[in-house]
Amino acid sequence: MSILSIESLFVRYGGITALNGVSVEVRQGETVLLIGSNGAGKSSLINAVTGLVSTSGGRILFEGRDLAGIPSAARSRLGIGYSPEGRRVFRSLTVRENVLSSTLGLSRAAAEENFAWACSIFPLLAERAGQPANQLSGGEQQIVALARAVSTLPKLLLLDEPFLGLAPVWIDRISDAIRELQRRGTTILMTEQMARPALKLVDRAYVMRGGEVRRSGDVAEIREEALAEEYL
Amino acid sequence: MVTFVSAGVIGLSMGAQYALIAIGFTLIFGILGVVNFAHGGFYVLGGYLAFTLSHVLGVPFVAAIVLATIATAAIGYVVEIVLVEKYVVDHLATMLITLGFYQILITAIVVFYGAEPMDFSFPITGSLRSGGIFVPYSNLIVFVVCGAAIAAVYWLVYRTRYGIALRAMADDGPVARSQGIPPATMFPMAFAIATGLAGLTGALVTPMLALDPHVGEGVLLKAFVVVILGGMGSIPGAMLAAFIVGLTEAYASVYLGGSKGALVLFVLVLVILLVRPQGIFGTEARKA
Ligand SMILES: Nc1ncnc2c1ncn2[C@@H]1O[C@H](COP(=O)(O)OP(=O)(O)O)[C@@H](O)[C@H]1O
Ligand SMILES: [Mg+2]
Repeated sequence: MSILSIESLFVRYGGITALNGVSVEVRQGETVLLIGSNGAGKSSLINAVTGLVSTSGGRILFEGRDLAGIPSAARSRLGIGYSPEGRRVFRSLTVRENVLSSTLGLSRAAAEENFAWACSIFPLLAERAGQPANQLSGGEQQIVALARAVSTLPKLLLLDEPFLGLAPVWIDRISDAIRELQRRGTTILMTEQMARPALKLVDRAYVMRGGEVRRSGDVAEIREEALAEEYL
Repeated sequence: MVTFVSAGVIGLSMGAQYALIAIGFTLIFGILGVVNFAHGGFYVLGGYLAFTLSHVLGVPFVAAIVLATIATAAIGYVVEIVLVEKYVVDHLATMLITLGFYQILITAIVVFYGAEPMDFSFPITGSLRSGGIFVPYSNLIVFVVCGAAIAAVYWLVYRTRYGIALRAMADDGPVARSQGIPPATMFPMAFAIATGLAGLTGALVTPMLALDPHVGEGVLLKAFVVVILGGMGSIPGAMLAAFIVGLTEAYASVYLGGSKGALVLFVLVLVILLVRPQGIFGTEARKA
């Protein structure tokens, strides 16, 4: 069953059409990649799902429910976790506070339990718990953004360019973190420009360009095409 | 030495008042992005409510202060939802709305109570005298109550998940929303906390200083000075700057004469801002 169905979605910013009738499916338990170069419309699609950008056509169904008119905060509480492009950790908050910031809808006990759970996946969090997030490196901030997104135990994790600007060693570490989340049953929709590390993590991929899906398929099919294109 | 200590206690007492006003002002700015020109109005409102409850209706002074605080918080909550909420992204609109609300509030007070100062006095008179140190009891009480209120706000903002959400909202509003923090409840709550603090300060301090419809203007000006000095949106900055301002005023008026206090204060503020234009705890310009 599809946990997320995006049907013929349009997003416009003034005169610019960022998404031009895009359809994407994510099924329970799988990891799906949106791949495309800068400006392809990946973030617009992710943020149409989080509710941070408004759509001008099409439908987004989450667990069969139309998200139209549901505010961003309520979508998070329905079970949509989100790690933004560029990480955007809360800079003046500590690492622990960042991870707890998304748990307002949970009981205190559940929030603390989930923080401990996040620390078990990402040991860095426990080591740096009291440190302001703006003192961390980009890779460390990505871990914090991931932990913040999963500390509510979301049904669907949206991951916008987790490798952006990171050194290879951090790309490996973030990849390991994503695999750990997959082992624990997390359903993921992620975006990337970097095909090589991203394709290792996912079941299926959609190739986007100019606000449209150009191709889609399982990893074996996409890998060859992507390698032939300039996304590498 | 004795004068030094007495002036210091009075300065701390004034600093604590300024801190309560400024924390609320900076909270509203940091979280909603709104410059609340009505902030002094809530101070005045707190004063008139406490006056009416205690001197007209005969409610005990302590209960009158508590009720005035709750009422100003509740009115702030409603003002945010009814007047501010819809225009919260439009800075010019919210300035005009809060300024307009302030004018309406003050005009209403003039209509009901007249423009003359009220005969509102602190129920506890007298001073603590010991070893030549001379401090009015009212100053001590104000210091203790404001100090307790500051501690309570500090606990709320830095020790609870609600406070985490407030600060997250101030840091990055859209991302905060995407993480499940609802502006529809956070904005009016932040506004209510801030206006409640202004109301508490007014209820507590106007019987000691003065209560007339226009005392809010000086209070707003002081809040501006403190918040700019501390760094716009910074709560620790507002606390520290409030005590700097309070102590500077107290010492300047004791050692240099009353009228020099403001002069020394503004020179000090100028110098600090020349060195740190973003304020003591401010970060560089916020992103739009
Ligand atoms: N806030 C915005 N205002 C105007 N145009 C935007 C905005 N955000 C994105 N765009 C435009 O929409 C298109 C898609 O952008 P985006 O969804 O960010 O792509 P990607 O994430 O794939 O790089 C681009 O042409 C971009 O310039
Ligand atoms: Mg993007």
